Amino acid sequence: MSAREHRVSLLARAALGLYPPAWRARYDDEVRALLEDSSAGPRSAASLAWYALPAWACPPRNLYDPPARMRASLATVLAAWTALAGLAAIFVQLTQAQASSQVATLVGHPVIQWSYWVFDAAAAVSVLAVAVGGLPLWLRMLRSATRRREMAFLLAPVVVPVGYLVASLVTIHLVRRGAPNPVLPYQPRSVVDLANGMVGPWWFLALVIAGFAAGGLAAAGPGLALRGLRPEGLAVTRATRAAVVAVAAMGVAGAASVFAVLCLYAWAPSEAGYHQGWQLATYIPGVLLAAAVASTSAARGIRATAV
Amino acid sequence: MREKLDRWADPPLLVLASLADEPKHGYAITQDVEQTMGVRLSAGTLYAVISRLEARGLIEPLESEDRRRPYRLTADGARELAEQSERMHQVSSVAQRRLRANYGWAGA
Repeated sequence: MSAREHRVSLLARAALGLYPPAWRARYDDEVRALLEDSSAGPRSAASLAWYALPAWACPPRNLYDPPARMRASLATVLAAWTALAGLAAIFVQLTQAQASSQVATLVGHPVIQWSYWVFDAAAAVSVLAVAVGGLPLWLRMLRSATRRREMAFLLAPVVVPVGYLVASLVTIHLVRRGAPNPVLPYQPRSVVDLANGMVGPWWFLALVIAGFAAGGLAAAGPGLALRGLRPEGLAVTRATRAAVVAVAAMGVAGAASVFAVLCLYAWAPSEAGYHQGWQLATYIPGVLLAAAVASTSAARGIRATAV
Repeated sequence: MREKLDRWADPPLLVLASLADEPKHGYAITQDVEQTMGVRLSAGTLYAVISRLEARGLIEPLESEDRRRPYRLTADGARELAEQSERMHQVSSVAQRRLRANYGWAGA
């Protein structure tokens, strides 16, 4: 086999990795045998990659496993929802938490106040939906995971955020003790927003990055437990339905925050936390991407509940 | 000519027609379709078709000792192939009659 043929063959095998797990479990060996027999060319690699898309979008009925689909959707939705919640927390820190600059902004621009209210209400509904829909499934999985390694995964959403909060509070306390007057006076620069009157911009950024890492770990735990324990039944169906509500509500919260951010940028550039282009260019695509992933996966999950 | 036929050919029908002869595995199907019908089926197209036909119960896998799993036509698959062939035969008859009448074409 020439170097080129070897590369093409590797590409064709890599294209097989694009297919859903159920499809691979059923056809992977056969396709590999076909590729070996027919000495795969670029056309084979391209066609395999192309047909992976319908295999995901409209899986064949005999390979469609609704409980597995719901579990996969729940894991993805949880990860994307956690990212949205993290972005919402940043939004709160850079806007509503800055009380001193908020009074004048909200009096002058009541539409921003309305955006804040919509954001608060939608975020509360979303958290409630996660708690109501996710708690029964989590408790059921916790029961079945007793004495198994999945216990650690299932405790991640409780232990990791608490650990992060404690570590953050200790860090903030130590930083403020080390620098007696860390609160920066008002300056029309983004660095003041990031300082947030607490720990300075770089510590704030470090806490944000650590927060997203902690969120990722917390969300990955139940995701791995769903794969390992394979729960089925009403609890999974209810959690999937609740996930749709949670994603819809968090989508509304995200839209309200984006609206508020744009209003702040346009009308109150010297107030609150969003008055430079890079802040918008980072925050808005982040919200859109996480919302797109969450809503796509939630839609696939709810379709599986109807089968 | 082959490129045009590839584009217009209906891959599920080609696979059903290939399996109407005898059970075949993936590579044997591509070889048979290429030799007897002049169409090259790529790996992605072939297994997209096989998975759909299997889901609809038109073909079924047979036991295999190695990774080359053969498939055979089911009774539903044979009925479907017969219906589609009949439809194609009707289209072919109409086309040939009109070609003869209007273009003087006598057929291959």
